[in-house]
Amino acid sequence: MRIVIIGGGIAAAYTANLIFEQSAEAEVLIVSKEKYAPYDRIHLCSLIDGSENVESIALELNPAVKLQLGEEIVSIDTKERRIFSQNASYAYDRLIIATGSKPRELFDTSGIENATTFRSADDSFKIAKQIKDKNVIIMGVGPIGLELLDTLMKMPDAKSIYILSRGKHLYSKDLNPASIELIQGIFESDPRVKISYNDAIVDRQVEGGRITRVYTKNHTIDDPFIVFGVGISPNVDFARDSVDVNKGVLVDERMCSSDPYIYAVGEAAEIRLNGYMAGRVKECTLQADAAVGAILGSDDAGFIQEPGIDGLKVGSFLFTDVSSPFYNPGDEDNETIVISSKKENRIDQYIINSDRLVRFIGINSNIDVMQLKRMIENDDAVDAAYFYQNRLVSERGRIVCSCESVYEQDLIDIIKENAVTCFGELKGLSKAGRTCGRCKKDISDIIAATPVDPQEAARLREEKARAEKAQELEKARRRIEKYNRLHPKNQISPDNLEEAIRTLDMSGEFNRWVSMVTASMRLHPTYEDVVKKGVEQLNKIPIIWLELSDCSGNSEAFIKTANPRMDDLILKYISLDYHELLMSAAGEQSEQVLDSVIENDSGRYILIVEGAVPLKMDGKFLRIGPRGETGLDLLQRTAKNAAAVLAVGTCALDGGVVAAAPNPTGAVGVAEALGRDDVINLPGCPVNPVNVIGTLLYYIMFDELPELDGKNRPKWAYSYRIHDNCERRGHYDLEEFVLEWGDEGAKQGWCLFKMGCKGPYADLNCPQLRFNEGTNWPVGVGHGCFACGEGKIAFDMYANNRMLEGEGDE
Amino acid sequence: MSKKKIVIDPVTRIEGHLRIEAEVDDDGVVTEAWASGQLFRGIETILKGRDPRDTGLIASRICGVCTNVHYRASVSAVENAYGIEIPDNARIVRDLVTLSLFVQDHVVHYYHLHSFDYVDMPSGLEADTKKAVELASKYHPKPYHISTGHLEAVKEKLQNYVNAGRLGIFSNGYWGHAAYRLSPEGCLVHASHYLTALRIQRELGKAVAIFGGKTPHPQNMIVGGVTSVMDMLNPQRINDFLFIMKEAREFIERAYIPDMKMLVDFYRDEIKAGDGRGGGNFMACGGYGFGRDAKLFEAGIILDHDFNTVLPMDETKITEDVTRAWYAGDEPLEPYSGETEVLYTDLNPDGTLKTEDKYSWIKAPRYEEKAMEVGPLARMLIGYISGSETIGPCMDDFMRDTGMELIDFCTSVGRNAARAVEAQVCCDAVFSFVSDMIENIKYYDEETWSRYDFESLPKDAKGCGIFEVPRGMLAHYVRIENAKVANYQAVVPTTWNASPKDGSGLRGPYEEAIVGLKLSDTSKPLEILRVVHSFDPCIACAVHIVNAKGRKLSEYKVRSACSV
Repeated sequence: MRIVIIGGGIAAAYTANLIFEQSAEAEVLIVSKEKYAPYDRIHLCSLIDGSENVESIALELNPAVKLQLGEEIVSIDTKERRIFSQNASYAYDRLIIATGSKPRELFDTSGIENATTFRSADDSFKIAKQIKDKNVIIMGVGPIGLELLDTLMKMPDAKSIYILSRGKHLYSKDLNPASIELIQGIFESDPRVKISYNDAIVDRQVEGGRITRVYTKNHTIDDPFIVFGVGISPNVDFARDSVDVNKGVLVDERMCSSDPYIYAVGEAAEIRLNGYMAGRVKECTLQADAAVGAILGSDDAGFIQEPGIDGLKVGSFLFTDVSSPFYNPGDEDNETIVISSKKENRIDQYIINSDRLVRFIGINSNIDVMQLKRMIENDDAVDAAYFYQNRLVSERGRIVCSCESVYEQDLIDIIKENAVTCFGELKGLSKAGRTCGRCKKDISDIIAATPVDPQEAARLREEKARAEKAQELEKARRRIEKYNRLHPKNQISPDNLEEAIRTLDMSGEFNRWVSMVTASMRLHPTYEDVVKKGVEQLNKIPIIWLELSDCSGNSEAFIKTANPRMDDLILKYISLDYHELLMSAAGEQSEQVLDSVIENDSGRYILIVEGAVPLKMDGKFLRIGPRGETGLDLLQRTAKNAAAVLAVGTCALDGGVVAAAPNPTGAVGVAEALGRDDVINLPGCPVNPVNVIGTLLYYIMFDELPELDGKNRPKWAYSYRIHDNCERRGHYDLEEFVLEWGDEGAKQGWCLFKMGCKGPYADLNCPQLRFNEGTNWPVGVGHGCFACGEGKIAFDMYANNRMLEGEGDE
Repeated sequence: MSKKKIVIDPVTRIEGHLRIEAEVDDDGVVTEAWASGQLFRGIETILKGRDPRDTGLIASRICGVCTNVHYRASVSAVENAYGIEIPDNARIVRDLVTLSLFVQDHVVHYYHLHSFDYVDMPSGLEADTKKAVELASKYHPKPYHISTGHLEAVKEKLQNYVNAGRLGIFSNGYWGHAAYRLSPEGCLVHASHYLTALRIQRELGKAVAIFGGKTPHPQNMIVGGVTSVMDMLNPQRINDFLFIMKEAREFIERAYIPDMKMLVDFYRDEIKAGDGRGGGNFMACGGYGFGRDAKLFEAGIILDHDFNTVLPMDETKITEDVTRAWYAGDEPLEPYSGETEVLYTDLNPDGTLKTEDKYSWIKAPRYEEKAMEVGPLARMLIGYISGSETIGPCMDDFMRDTGMELIDFCTSVGRNAARAVEAQVCCDAVFSFVSDMIENIKYYDEETWSRYDFESLPKDAKGCGIFEVPRGMLAHYVRIENAKVANYQAVVPTTWNASPKDGSGLRGPYEEAIVGLKLSDTSKPLEILRVVHSFDPCIACAVHIVNAKGRKLSEYKVRSACSV
């Protein structure tokens, strides 16, 4: 697939790299109007003072990305799928518009030497070259203007620096007067700086392409150099005839425009639903994630707005800015709380709306801003006391990297534990400084200021590992105690439980199973005791197992579980209260069981769901129970009070085979049907019962979900690529392939890749566990894998005995 | 006389979503019944437009309980369409997987899905273990894992479980119901075998996986043969398979069959009263050849409980009716053109069936306008009367030991007895199938796949795959146009058995067998569950898109021999 990206900034570069991270097959071309390879605009100020050059701020780019510089795209032919510049045209399969914004000017500067916008490397160079002995006028007092002012203050070149605010504010219209005063004081400590409020240019004299004099409302300035930092607008004019454009290119939550082959990300995009437009690097990267996920079909979660966090270090003070996606500056219900300290030059300003925090602006603040972000995300009601108590943050210090939520002390710990001596060595240890890059210099300073010793580092690492282990063990123990407290009705005492185990002479098998679960959950052997206790607790957890639009395959697999055997499992380890395939009660009586668990064990039972959820025809393709409830209604009713929801099998993941094209019943997976993102998915057709039991156990022991991957699958079971652990992998590496069913290679157990095995596309632990007590598995039986756990895509793309298109063309 | 409506939904301990409604008079006698499939998935619609070589992996997902059989029927239908004959070894490997599945499916059905209808589990706690051993010894000289020590342990295990406070799957059963007949000792023996059978079915799962790769949803077939050549040529694998089947046969001989004889003894009154007797029409397509010319099952038709005559089965007499099913089917459609559309007329506002209207996702297939019962009972009757050498001796033994006559098998308990005898028949025969395979390998026949060039196969073709599978006769039909699946249809055992009424008001087999039952407690309709469970329902299988009212399925059939 040929993907063309228009743009030359961080959104373009990040998107291109991401594509190659996820797919080796794509072809990516970046077309940029600039003459430089994509660079990081965050560092434009460093180009002015000469501390960086355009090469040193260049963005890392995967070498496989093709680059076409100096070509400004002027139009798109959506029918032929080509884009055109003045001189050339480029074909695409998918087009991503990442053209960012263009700066606004207050008057036409064409042909004028001493006025510029401030948006590109060339703008920086123009400023650097021309400000010598000039009276610089900065139009605009937003973050860009202030950062420029800060840079110029550190340079001797300018004769004087005027910064003009149209109102009576600096940084943001929302900033409180105390903060403005504080900032103003710091800036005006340089006698060259003149901050002029309620001001604007009213007239100018031009001679021979130069502005010689500027009249503002308050000043008359001779021999000026004017920089516009007054705002930006999306750079999307070239697309107006081809796709829907409002301010930016209108896109859905997958960043797809009105043309299914054209996407837009970053400042060029406008979310159709709510008019949202990204302003920060972090949001641009999240949008790129969504677009690439949609294009490659790897993830269709779409773009979800997060509260934005901005950090800006200007001179001797640090701005921190947290903003809710729902923040509306014009809302009259906004209220402000300010907590300030003269001594520390610190001001924390909270803007609150209807009891919810909507924005925080801090100067030299040391409040835990990530906690504020969580507060916004969780929609927590504001407790003003928290703002006071927590303002002397955390032992973790100030936030250094707001994109990746890295605190100063965390960074120092990493530096010490790994004896880091330069920014480059931090790679792989922390993502700090690697998203927008704004804090890169800050981090380098911290590294320089932190003394390291390799021996001490090793000791620290060990100590940390020990502390973590102790903490987790303690957590598991507390969890088990808590379960004991929560189940006063339960009559099992430790005595009679042990007695029961003895009577049944199960201890041997029991211990083997404990070891196996411990190992397959990738826990250290020291956990065995805790796992064992967890197992003993399982029989107190009520379980509801729903079968929706299914074939009972996962239930059938579940009753074939070994270690523990099914009889022990249902008699001793779990309380399978509702399971249509196995329960004795039927009809009205089974409904009573269900109602009783939902009511009496609210918040404690675990819901396991097998099958897809049909949504078409109001969900009436499936009716269950005496009252003819739809599958969806039943699912919602049982999920509401469940402590956790496990979606087992591929149909429960995303509809599976039931949702395969053309999805006649509009089937979706459990998470989508419930609209929840905390459903644990255990796909597989059917799921291996070990993965169900192990996940239950993890939840019970640690009172939290196991670590999940992007599809909410437990990493301990789903982070293995089948191809990497396949017993036939050696033959693949030697290029020994089965080429025809039943040939000599087939008799020798050679690799099935050329017979259409999809092991390379499947993440599951089948090669390790195999099925039916390790008896066999699809590769073992000579057929090959069809990635049955990957979702409905398996039934639309992988369930055949042919290689994917484009694979193996030599 | 006033009528009372009974609703059972969900019918548990079956595959799928089944609802039963029954009308009961003041004496507790069922006067009318409705069986309704409550889930529609549209797997056949999903199969349309796909590469014919790919139907197996999707069609197999029709059911995860009678897993494998849809996979096989689907692949066979495509082979039939293209005229591809598969090698003998491939056929045997497929048979081994199918037969081990037969045995596994029957064991799970009786003990885990059905026995609670006859066995009052908690009463087993009251049993005298010594008497229980004596009871079991009446039905076999060496009963399977039955000793006072073992039974004490089982009792203790159950007691511990009950003491623990949560009854799990045993919650709210019809325990203590007046219709239970087994003595506490009989219940304990069954409870013990319930637990043992969990192990046996797991072992049988391994047998399926040896040549099938895994179960549920084996993955060892491709159009033209099987992939499990390496397992087939591995003597240890064959050995493993044989020993699992040997162990299963032990269990069937010393537990399953004796338990069934015990059940017949305790429930003789219900048998004599004809509880669960249906319309008396039976059908089977037969199949599974082995040895020189032996055959596991016979084909034929029995009408109106007439055990003197087995009529030849003529597939052209099969028709389908959707008058009472949720499909638009009043206007006959051109054969092969389009599918009948879904026409859902909903339930009543209180969630009950619109019993005068359409009421099920399951269509009503008919043979010469008669509702037919398919399954182990049909196979055993037709085989026995046709003089089958595989079925005859096993049936004779059972009838001699229990005094049962053929008409007695046509009851709820009898259906189970027929199923148990069938498990024995399959288990015995499987060793002959393995011998055939070893014989082939010995003489260097290692073929497992018939070569064909897909590109040069005809672009348009039609075919079918018809098999006897655990619950009865299964048929998959495929029509291929321009090398893609143009239409696909599966007519499965439960479609016959669980069919709703047809346009003439004729009841389906479930319904027919329920009507006339006397219930001792209408709030706990245990007797109805017994009847329904005795058919071993599999509802996910049964629900399918149909083509047109009354259209003959044989129109799909073009090539002479549907491989059976």
